[in-house]
Amino acid sequence: MPDAPADLPEAASRRFESRAFTSGLTVPDFAACLQSGLRPVGFVQGFCVMQWSWYGMGSPYNRGLSPYGGGGGYSETYQCPHGYVSAEHRSWGRNYEQSWVEQAWSQGFGLAYGRMLEEATAVGAHGVIGVIDTSDRLSDLGVVEFHVRGTAVTVDGVPAPRGGQPWTTYLAGQRLTKLVEAGYAPVSVAAAVASVRVWAYCITEYLLGGGGSAWGGQQSSAEVTQVAAARTAARQLAREHVRAQLGGDSLHGAEMVVSEREVGEGDQEIQCLLRGNRVRRFKEFDPVAVPHPTVRLS
Amino acid sequence: MTLDRPTGGALPIDSPGEMRRAVEALAGPPGRGTKPMTSDLSIDEELLLHSIGWEPVELVTGASIFSVPMGVWNWGQGEITSASTAFAGAFAGAIDRIHRETTRAGGHGVVGVHVETSVQRHHIDVTLLGTAVRPVGGHKGAATPFVSDLGARDFTVLHVSGWEPTGLAVGAGFVYAPRRSMGTAMQQKSQNVELTNFTEAMYSARESAMERMQASALALRGSGVVDVTVNEGPIDFARHAIGFTAWGTAVRLAGDQHRTIEPSMVVPLDDSQVAFDASTLG
Amino acid sequence: MTDAPQDPSAAPEDLPKDLPEATSRRLAELEHGLFTSDLSVNEFLLIKEVGFHPLGLVMGSSIYHTGIQTRKWGQSQELTKLTEAMYNARELAMTRMEEEADQLGADGVVGVRLDVNYYEWGKDAAEFIAVGTAVKAESGVSHRNALGKPFTSDLSGQDFWTLMQTGYIPQGLVMGTCVYHIAHRGLGQTLGSAGQNVELPNFTQALYEAREMAMTRMQDEADRLEASGIVGVRLEEKSHQWGSHTIEFLSLGTAVTKTSDEVTLPVPTTIISLDN
Repeated sequence: MPDAPADLPEAASRRFESRAFTSGLTVPDFAACLQSGLRPVGFVQGFCVMQWSWYGMGSPYNRGLSPYGGGGGYSETYQCPHGYVSAEHRSWGRNYEQSWVEQAWSQGFGLAYGRMLEEATAVGAHGVIGVIDTSDRLSDLGVVEFHVRGTAVTVDGVPAPRGGQPWTTYLAGQRLTKLVEAGYAPVSVAAAVASVRVWAYCITEYLLGGGGSAWGGQQSSAEVTQVAAARTAARQLAREHVRAQLGGDSLHGAEMVVSEREVGEGDQEIQCLLRGNRVRRFKEFDPVAVPHPTVRLS
Repeated sequence: MTLDRPTGGALPIDSPGEMRRAVEALAGPPGRGTKPMTSDLSIDEELLLHSIGWEPVELVTGASIFSVPMGVWNWGQGEITSASTAFAGAFAGAIDRIHRETTRAGGHGVVGVHVETSVQRHHIDVTLLGTAVRPVGGHKGAATPFVSDLGARDFTVLHVSGWEPTGLAVGAGFVYAPRRSMGTAMQQKSQNVELTNFTEAMYSARESAMERMQASALALRGSGVVDVTVNEGPIDFARHAIGFTAWGTAVRLAGDQHRTIEPSMVVPLDDSQVAFDASTLG
Repeated sequence: MTDAPQDPSAAPEDLPKDLPEATSRRLAELEHGLFTSDLSVNEFLLIKEVGFHPLGLVMGSSIYHTGIQTRKWGQSQELTKLTEAMYNARELAMTRMEEEADQLGADGVVGVRLDVNYYEWGKDAAEFIAVGTAVKAESGVSHRNALGKPFTSDLSGQDFWTLMQTGYIPQGLVMGTCVYHIAHRGLGQTLGSAGQNVELPNFTQALYEAREMAMTRMQDEADRLEASGIVGVRLEEKSHQWGSHTIEFLSLGTAVTKTSDEVTLPVPTTIISLDN
């Protein structure tokens, strides 16, 4: 067995030297695993703690304060239709992509994921199945811990890996077996976030504030187009970022999680996380016949 | 009703062999020609779609938010038209956006749509997320793709019986429950009696919503709506306002006749259910 | 009405003229062929398998104020006024739902859900709601019950399919209710039996009586429908908003009648499911 990487905690090295494996699989998943020639060799994980402040001073990521901040990526400007009104009137607004937030997430996830792969390589695994990734805030001060873990496995009848990354997937058990039977090979997990900031202009602020009487007249409702555009953009961007990781393969079994945070009257921050399994077709698809409908008696 | 794989006469599947071939293929080049797909369907759902000759194309979304003017919730009589309009507008806006994404991706419709709605004091939001699908090999998107909250499994079963989804029919109604007069309130407090003003308000909200959903289904050229999701009750932050929303998939016969499916009755011999899988750990 | 006592202070039940005008319009639209239902796709197809077609989602609701009845702290007794109130409220909801089904020309209603929701309008106000899908036989033969009304049942589409295969047909959702107050035990008695494993006879007796009353009333309703039996009986016990010594016992089931001796149930196959 190759030496454990130097930067793993000592306890991990001891765990890997033991003969018995640990695994995060349930009994049915474990059985399904063995049935398809996968042998669990160990529970592997990686951590990364990132400083994560939205507006904290001294944070390298606080460039989000100003709507003038560049960053490339998506950006849409909204101009107020009124003439000059007052100094407090928000005569223009902007939706923009906070690429520094996206990069920070990507870095945190990437480091944690990489460390999990190091552990997997250390035990001579071909791949890691049943991957779970979480990011939890550790305190109000804006510290986020990324934790990626899974069960490292070897594949019967395949020579020991010569280098290169182990393949990974969120799936395990029967779902993985069926994926392979259907002709897809798991390549890796794919995950990305998109972060869009809404810097409201007068119309948005007015509509979300209940259509203040200062502007009178409008008692019907209207679409808050700036926010609708930002929410749509966040989702589309997340999908684009993940597509960029696919390299021609497909994304299977995806999950999208969106969270929104208000940061002032009409202002908000939208974060869209998309994760899924990058898969590659390795044989022609052989569709099954329509299954037969049944009614259960019990 | 469940769908079970027929095992009679099928060849045994060589799972370890398949896994080896899969892993060996990873050394080769990625992608095989056609534009790679993204989907949130499970593998079972994908297999079911393929069994009727359909495939997933792209994960698509639609979102919209409509404002609700100030004070709308607090006083008034009869229907709260601004709220009903806002809900209808937000839903239509979200559907419109998901249509555009679907057409751009070359899909004929969207299945398994998760519908999320939120009614707040000053705005009503609707978001939709689903997987666009098309018949295998079809490349041109449909002009008006169908949007359905039925899963791929229900879509398959409907297809086999000769039905097709035409779209998501929706209706919403918001009304004010008139406040009881002081005298009435005192009288009712000591009796076990129906609170007619609230009941009438509920009915009124419901009628508006159901009528709109029906009109929506007719506009989608459906002959019926299945699996309707109904939410009803007073608004959290406005106790005297009652909201009623209903949506479901409008369907119609694809051909001229319903095809019977003749399910068989089975007695499963296993009682165990998978309580959790790897994705619930941690 | 069955032998459930009338509450003299309640307004007499109103029938269709009690529903908003919009309802009649909406039901008219449904009669022209458009159907709505909250049946799942599975249930929809199974209903069609036994020759029925859904007509429309029907609903009845009533917001009722229930809570006033004085009770003796030390005595176990039925709280008859509350029983009547709970019964009337549900009956109002069910009857309105049946009237809608009647207006659609339905043979029956399946998948009925009877719910009670509490809101913050005031203590003791609750909404009673009955929802189901009205169905009609495609053959045109009437399947209404012995009273000439559409049958109601809380059977799912799957159970309806299975029942029809056995040669039985639903007649109506039958219910019996009893609101019972359980005596608080005297202080002396409590101290006496603390620490022992002993039966508490007054509780046993009280709960027994209450359940029997609820089930008997349910049975009476089935008799009125000239049913052969009741299936799917369940007994629900809830304290609603009255505190833990006052419980409503609600017994619900679907009354059925035999229509033919022929049982078309096929012999079931045994299977072992391969997926989770």
